[in-house]
Formats: sequence, C-alpha cells, structure tokens
Amino acid sequence: METTFTEQDSLRVITEMIENSKAKIRDNGFFYLLWGWLVLIASLSNFILLIIDYDKAWLPWPILMTGGGIASGIAGYRLGKRIKVRTFFDTAMIYLWYGFLATLFIILFTAAKGNVSWVVTNALIIALYGLGTFVSGGILNFKPLIWGGIFSWVIAIVTLFIPDLYSLLAVALSIVVAYLIPGYMLKSRFNKNSHV
Amino acid sequence: MFKELDPLLHSQLRLQVMSLLVGVESAEFTYLLEETGATRGNLSVQITKLKDAGYIDVNKSFRNNYPLTTCKITPKGVKAFEKYVEALQEYLKLDKKSRSS
Repeated sequence: METTFTEQDSLRVITEMIENSKAKIRDNGFFYLLWGWLVLIASLSNFILLIIDYDKAWLPWPILMTGGGIASGIAGYRLGKRIKVRTFFDTAMIYLWYGFLATLFIILFTAAKGNVSWVVTNALIIALYGLGTFVSGGILNFKPLIWGGIFSWVIAIVTLFIPDLYSLLAVALSIVVAYLIPGYMLKSRFNKNSHV
Repeated sequence: MFKELDPLLHSQLRLQVMSLLVGVESAEFTYLLEETGATRGNLSVQITKLKDAGYIDVNKSFRNNYPLTTCKITPKGVKAFEKYVEALQEYLKLDKKSRSS
C-alpha cells in the first residue's frame, strides 16, 4: 500500500489531519458560568445585606468563593482526565488562570494587611478578571470575551468615582457582561458543535 | 533540483501521526488511534519507527491503573516535517510546470 502513496496523497493526508487537530473551541463555558453566577450572587447579596444593615454583610464572599474554588478544582481535575489531546491553547489557558489566581491572592493579602483601601482593591480585582477574560478571548478568538474584558476595565475605573455601596452593583454588571453572557454563548456554541 | 522526500514520513500512517502531532502539544495514543483510523498494532509499529528516528517522544505512564501512552513531536521531528512539506511543495510546482508546458 505504501508504494502507491503519491505526493498528492501526502498533501491530502496533511490537510485532513491538520484540519482534525486544529484548535476547535472546546470550551463549554462551564467555568465562566460557575464564577459568573457565584460573583453575581455574592455581590448582589452583599449589597442587600448592607442595605438592611447586617453587620457581616461581606459574608457571602468567603463562603461562595471557597465553594467555587472547590467546585473548580474538582471540575478541572475531571476535565484533565477526559481530554486526550493537549493543544498550545490549553497550556496558555492553564498558565493564564494560575497566574490570575496568584495575582488575586497577592492583591487580597495586600488589602488584608491594610496597605491598600478596599475601594482600590475592588478596582484592581475587577481589572484583573477583565484581564483574564480579555486574554482568554484572544486565545480562543472569541470576541464576546474580549469585549467583556474591556468592559470590566472601564467598570474598574468607574468604581473609583462612585460610592462604595454602588461599586457592588458595578461588579454585578461587569460580571454579567464579562462572564455570564460570553459563558452562555460558549455553551450554546459547544452544544451545537457537539451534535454535528 | 528536486529534493528527495523523507522516506520515513512518506508513508500514509506515519505522515498522519506527524501531521496530527505538529499542531498540538501532546496527544494520547487513543486520540491518534481515533483520528487515523489505524489498527492498534500498526499504529504502535509506526510510532516506534518515528520514535527511533527521534521525530517523536513517547511517554508511558499510568492513569487509574490503566497504561497511558502520550506522544509529542520533537524539534527534530518538526524540522523533518517542515522539510518534507517544502520538498512536497517543490514537487507540486515542478508537476504543475511540466503539465502546463
């Protein structure tokens, strides 16, 4: 069989195989939806608790974020076991989000030490998750994430000029635009592609 | 002058494997099996040939007590693949010329 393998066959094989392995968007939006909903619920419940004058209004954050961290860890571990091929896009995403996590901890640690005000911390965190979606969008070539990232940066600046209480609503708005909308778009795209 | 096509790559299955690996960071044996449609035995033999030539790295490990084989193209393999594609392009150019004359 190998003796009849012509140059035209070679070209066909290369084109076919590259087509098969080229990076398809395999992201089903799970992580964007998980974190989108958790941050939305945390920011809105924090806002409501402040309005009703509850003294531990910040409580939704540690509870929901820890829960999200555990859920993400389990989902990431399962995903890692399922994938049979690792593309350079996967590696770039992994490094991006680990870098995000490390930077987030540094910002939170700095804020907890009292070196930076919570208003600035808030703006930095919004800008940081904006960076996460902006770069992810670039890697996946998915415009809604890129626009979501840019929108988050604008919101990060806006929070510096509005009362603290309303910055929670700004967080809620940016998370809907930067995580939930692109997350649902990725999900529907993934479902459509998997039926083909 | 027409360049010689690398005989190691000028074979359907080995070329399939190299074309799949050139675009990704690493791939499991089962992925290569699914995408090429080859038999387990034949794929295994061709992978060993590519490995012996230093074109790919083969890593054997375990996952959930099952053996797991992962393949990755080496820099030498990428170079060989690029050279093969170049030679192929040259061949097709010559072919076109000879047909039009």
